[in-house]
Amino acid sequence: MFFETPSQKVFKVFNYIFLTLLAFITFYPFWYVLIASFNLGSDFTKGGVYFWPRAFTLENYEFAFRDNRIYRSLGITIFKTVTQVVTSLFFTALLAYALSVKSMPGRIGITFFYYFTTLFGGGMIPYYILLRDLGLTKSIWLYIIPAIYGFFNMVLLRTAFAGIPSELREAASIDGAGDFRILFTIYFPCALPTVATLALFIGVGAWNDWFTGAYYQSNKDLYPAATVLQQLLNEATSQLAEAAGSGDNTTNMSAEQESATKTTYTSQSIRMAFVMILTMPIIVIYPFLQKYYVKGVMVGSVKG
Amino acid sequence: MAKSNVVMINGQPMEYFSKPISKQIWEHKWLYVFVFPLIIWLLVFSYYPMYGATLAWKNFKYNLGIVNSPWAGWKWFEEFVNSPEFWITMGNTIKISLLKLLFCWPAPILLALLLNEVKGMKFKRVVQTLSYLPNFVSWVVVIQLMQIIFTPYGGVINSIRASFGLKSIFFMGEVDLFYPMVILSDIWKGIGWGSIIYLSALSSVSMDLYEAAALDGAGRLKQTWHVTLPGIKGVLGIQFIFATGGILNAGFDQLLLIAMPSTKHLAQILDTYTLEKGLKYGKFELASAVGIFKSIFALGLMTLTNWISNKVMEVGIW
Repeated sequence: MFFETPSQKVFKVFNYIFLTLLAFITFYPFWYVLIASFNLGSDFTKGGVYFWPRAFTLENYEFAFRDNRIYRSLGITIFKTVTQVVTSLFFTALLAYALSVKSMPGRIGITFFYYFTTLFGGGMIPYYILLRDLGLTKSIWLYIIPAIYGFFNMVLLRTAFAGIPSELREAASIDGAGDFRILFTIYFPCALPTVATLALFIGVGAWNDWFTGAYYQSNKDLYPAATVLQQLLNEATSQLAEAAGSGDNTTNMSAEQESATKTTYTSQSIRMAFVMILTMPIIVIYPFLQKYYVKGVMVGSVKG
Repeated sequence: MAKSNVVMINGQPMEYFSKPISKQIWEHKWLYVFVFPLIIWLLVFSYYPMYGATLAWKNFKYNLGIVNSPWAGWKWFEEFVNSPEFWITMGNTIKISLLKLLFCWPAPILLALLLNEVKGMKFKRVVQTLSYLPNFVSWVVVIQLMQIIFTPYGGVINSIRASFGLKSIFFMGEVDLFYPMVILSDIWKGIGWGSIIYLSALSSVSMDLYEAAALDGAGRLKQTWHVTLPGIKGVLGIQFIFATGGILNAGFDQLLLIAMPSTKHLAQILDTYTLEKGLKYGKFELASAVGIFKSIFALGLMTLTNWISNKVMEVGIW
């Protein structure tokens, strides 16, 4: 059908090289920090670690897990991720199911009531004052209750539910099944790809959210892991800046190097381990759900 | 399936709607129960803060709450506009946004076009899957990765520089490197995920058009220009409108995290300003005013680009 001219061949080769390079650049930072996290911190600061640990060790992970702050925050992250996925899916499903039944009187008005909130918002400050007045800013429910619902999640699920023939619902209700049972025993399994996509989006969102913890949570003991990572990053940033500000950074001892002279681990190497602890679950899970979420993105962008 | 002699409306036979409305409602009673919890939630977490936006025109008193605090007129808007930080903040916001629109917005389109040329499905799939990965990690992790890669203390980039006998550079804190770092990291994080929507638009461009163009003697580049891009015009237009609507967002969590003490003055945008004034210094009213200022400005921009897009590309969101 098409024959290839020499210039097309050249393009093809360059295209493959470019895309391979892109894939490498995307993945390498994760790989690099992974192997660096298995390298002795003091050895790493000498430079020259590229593809494989030079002085293999597990001590960075040992210290990361021994750190009270990190340990507890991981527990909180796991709790809030699981709880948020379950509660958010449950309430979103109830709403999406109701709004997918076209014969329900008042459906359009109710939908608009929900849609309206995506157009206008009160902004960060009134929202914060509300959270504080509700007492959520010192509670773990800060991560759960305000995150129960998102309009686009609902639209995604409603679209999936709307694709299920309404005869199924009628037949089931004639057989005496209530709406609750219809939803969870018929609609949920039928819309499984969308449910899986949503669970992934909600779960990843909850896992990654550092902002809520950093700015709305006043109890430091309730910080999730992502927030603790951000705090460690902040501390490191100011340390680094201090070291850089105090003159030529190649000759000057940084706090990093200084600590490396006393111990084999550094605050940087422990941070690396922490980053990997937080990132690994995502790297492992997301490729398996790929065929679902790509479809989910499409539905969301078309209908949204 | 419905029998052909019964007219169905909204999944019910037509006679259904001649029933009294109270009966119709009663038959859907459980659905109202389902909707109810989130209506309460919405009133509390969305509608109430909407009223709270009036904070921008008030003198907030802790003991009185937002509703009962006395009105203050446009005082806070004036304070913001007249403050020396106004022009810095606006300048930064617009500068970073324009840079992102110029470099970060076309990047996924380019990737989609390149991926579209790949015939090997397996290779394409691997590249795509890898390119989605950064979308699933937070900016905290991305900046953390950057810090480690670019650190003068053993980071890979400075190690490579050292092996060429070059001096190590403190990339993250260098003022001159601030914009490249922001732009490149934004492209790195968003390019793969952003390409999904364009790829699917590309797959719907008819093969016949390419064949016709090829018969007329158009090379691949010409085909891209005359067939591919017009074929995804609709998606391009809509995405562009959304991009400009979000222009004042400039990616505030990225900037919040990437800023070092030496680059802080470059990273201050409207959103980080709101955050700092409001949540750090407790100037709630001023922060609200800045937030509202931003929303109105963004709406204006979006209306403008929507109008342009309607004229130029014949697509719009309204």
